[in-house]
Amino acid sequence: MNIIETITKSDKNISDNTSNIQRISLDKLRTNPIPNNKNEIWRLTNKSKFNRFLDFKFTNDFYDPDIPGYSNIQNICRIIIGENKRIKLKRENWEIKELEEKEIQNFLQQKIIKSDTTQNWSNLLNHFLTDNKNIIGLNISGKEIPPLEIICNSKNNFLNAKTLIINIEEDTIVSISQINIGDKNSALSISSYFNIAQHSVLNHGIISYGKNKANIINTLNVWQHKNSEYNLGSLQFEYDFGRFEISINQVEGNAKTNIKGIQITKNNEQISTYANIEFNGPNGFLDQLNKSLANDKSHSIFEGLIIVPQIAQKTDASQLSRNLLLSNYAKIDTKPQLEIVADDVKCMHGATISQLNEDEVFYMRSRGLTLEEASKLQLRSYYQEVISFLPVSKERWDLLALLLKNK
Amino acid sequence: MESKKEIKQPLLEISNLFASTENLTILKGVNIEINSGEIHAIMGRNGCGKSTLSKIIAGHPSYEVTSGKIKLCGNDIEELEPEERAQSGIFLGFQYPIEIPGVSNLEFLRVATNARRKFLKKEELDTFEFEDLVKEKLDIVKMDSAFLSRSINQGFSGGEKKRNEILQMALLEPKIAILDETDSGLDIDALRIVASGIKKIANKNSGIILITHYQRLLDEIKPDFVHVMADGKIIKTGDSDLALELEKNGYDWTDEFIKEN
Repeated sequence: MNIIETITKSDKNISDNTSNIQRISLDKLRTNPIPNNKNEIWRLTNKSKFNRFLDFKFTNDFYDPDIPGYSNIQNICRIIIGENKRIKLKRENWEIKELEEKEIQNFLQQKIIKSDTTQNWSNLLNHFLTDNKNIIGLNISGKEIPPLEIICNSKNNFLNAKTLIINIEEDTIVSISQINIGDKNSALSISSYFNIAQHSVLNHGIISYGKNKANIINTLNVWQHKNSEYNLGSLQFEYDFGRFEISINQVEGNAKTNIKGIQITKNNEQISTYANIEFNGPNGFLDQLNKSLANDKSHSIFEGLIIVPQIAQKTDASQLSRNLLLSNYAKIDTKPQLEIVADDVKCMHGATISQLNEDEVFYMRSRGLTLEEASKLQLRSYYQEVISFLPVSKERWDLLALLLKNK
Repeated sequence: MESKKEIKQPLLEISNLFASTENLTILKGVNIEINSGEIHAIMGRNGCGKSTLSKIIAGHPSYEVTSGKIKLCGNDIEELEPEERAQSGIFLGFQYPIEIPGVSNLEFLRVATNARRKFLKKEELDTFEFEDLVKEKLDIVKMDSAFLSRSINQGFSGGEKKRNEILQMALLEPKIAILDETDSGLDIDALRIVASGIKKIANKNSGIILITHYQRLLDEIKPDFVHVMADGKIIKTGDSDLALELEKNGYDWTDEFIKEN
């Protein structure tokens, strides 16, 4: 049954195992079962692709992911959401332990109560769908923590939902790679929450890699406290329908946020990124670059919003959208925006859309490189800026090779 | 006993070449022949067609050959793609070398060198073998190996860009090198380094075309022939004294020549 029908119809479709979080989310969704397409963050969404996402049969069952490009490297903690393994790792300098179920429920309940269906529809859908088995909550503390790899996956012909909650304690430095793998003809809903305490650094990589006709709605919610640093590298490709909603809140300002993301579309795919960065204190810093590359008849969307209220004096924020059109039939929509009330700030935003540079291509061809080799080198340079920012080792994930092979 | 006389082979033969871009005819019947071991200089006013000629020989897709022939080592090349011409032995040293951010100079040079080596049926070089070769060639243009790890021409000074062009020429060992205003924007020291590099690379099996406005490059590299180009064709050919004459008298006489012809 279509998910929307489940939401709108009577309680008879809701089982006794449904958690309190699922029930609250359902109640909220019932007031607004489908996102309003007049809403800015849903306006450009391809309706038929979105409906297809909602038409998948939902399951909470666990399936072993088929991980591409994976080679076994020691000294990495790997977690697959839904695998139902207990996690508790402790060494002299660091500790990773699971949050108690009650802590998770309380956290989510607080978030959901404040959520509205206009801005948080994707999170609410996720929390309505996800059962306790598919939620992982971790508390991380310490230094010299081995890189963490968290895998979320969907299964062929099904819609899967996963939730990730991570609390990073004070004075912690950690690298987390989140790998979202979409099986062919499947759908994946993911909501992630990161709370970064004072004086902590999170190097976060999100790689969303789908297969033929895979779909994903991925939301990321980050709270940064004073003197924290959040570095996000993201890569989205091979999804027929991909939607990435980023919400970052510097709750007290005085924090650093660096974001570099790239989304790659081909055929008839649509991938969109919506980024909402809010400064709720002074001296905040943001450097965001979103790149997209659209080929064939695909559609790539970026909408960014930087919010700088009165309290956020001395904010230094930059949001750039750089886009490459590889086909006359492809479409790119980009809209970086600023909403500034504070008067002593340095904020900039900008967007460019271009095609592969013909002079560069001729220069390389005049040295004997074929058109394909020249284009590959150019694309390599286009990808490299973001890929080198991801906290992912080349030995484990040779993303550049994967991307160039896919083109 | 017969004396050993060096037999010169025609490397590049251009006959009655007409070419246009955006419906504008720029080359109007160029004829030139370069034999092995020869250095030719092409001089002329801005806009006379010198740079266009070099781009057309290299196969720039914005230009169309409307009639005439371009032969390299006896084979027609007008239908070849730019990369096929380069692999066959045409090298164009750019007047304004292109900056390509993010693309490693070393990787670019390796791919280019291997493309040429493949054509020559030589074994392709792996990263380590190539590094040995390129370090040897760096010496020719007095470049530091730090240039290799940078993006192609990005942040290079004018002189460094030109030296990078000559480094590429040294690696690709072309049959014909066309150097389009390689001397422009160079100070005296940089000019000497570039000119010395060109002389070291020049050999009896290849030919060089120097496109220039100034005598100072020709003081360093003495050409066998000097051609004067005007209104899309070569209107006069002479030896190196012709360049001195141009330096002294300028190009006003070319206007008269065009009017009369």
